[in-house]
Amino acid sequence: MNKLLIVMLAGASLGLAGNAMAADAAAGKEKAAICTACHGEGGNKPLAPDYPKLAGQPADYLVKALKDYKSGKRKNPLMAPQAQNLSKKDMQDLAAYFAGQPGDLVVKY
Amino acid sequence: MTLRTFTTAGLLTALAAFALPLHAEGDSAAGKGKTAMCAGCHGIPGFRTAYPETYHVPKLGGQNAGYIVSALKAYKSGDRAHPTMKAIAASLSDQDMADLAAYYATTGK
Repeated sequence: MNKLLIVMLAGASLGLAGNAMAADAAAGKEKAAICTACHGEGGNKPLAPDYPKLAGQPADYLVKALKDYKSGKRKNPLMAPQAQNLSKKDMQDLAAYFAGQPGDLVVKY
Repeated sequence: MTLRTFTTAGLLTALAAFALPLHAEGDSAAGKGKTAMCAGCHGIPGFRTAYPETYHVPKLGGQNAGYIVSALKAYKSGDRAHPTMKAIAASLSDQDMADLAAYYATTGK
């Protein structure tokens, strides 16, 4: 019984640790080199006019975009292969990094 | 190639170029008058979509015009799946998209 309790507690704490695995902007910066090759420094200077600026965009929106590129829900021949290589944690880290970068984007009425 | 086929081909090319401009020129002032459908979500700081998933809507002010046009076209064609954006984009002409893109692109920081 005690063993069962310990196993259950251990499982629960692992679950908590998993949930608490926070997005890490510093780790995101490390992973962002391939992104900034097209989206520009800090994600604010895209190399082509039809590439989006990422700097300052909400992190949950950026995660959603990457998830949809990976699943194919959002179809884009350039981004689909990039997103394939990203784990959920990678996406959260990258999103945290770009959301925190200074840039041009503002909420505009 | 006979003179007649050459002339016909030339005329057809000229007609096609006239009838199918590849890129509508965006008019920022006209775009400002077309934002009523955008502002209810994108004009509110911190606004989140409620359906089908919850996340912050992207900032549009200061975004690249070419990207805004490509995003709207992708919603219209179904390459990007979002029920509300699909319905709104479906109601926009190429000129409307170019005008809105021109407006938002000029309203960044």
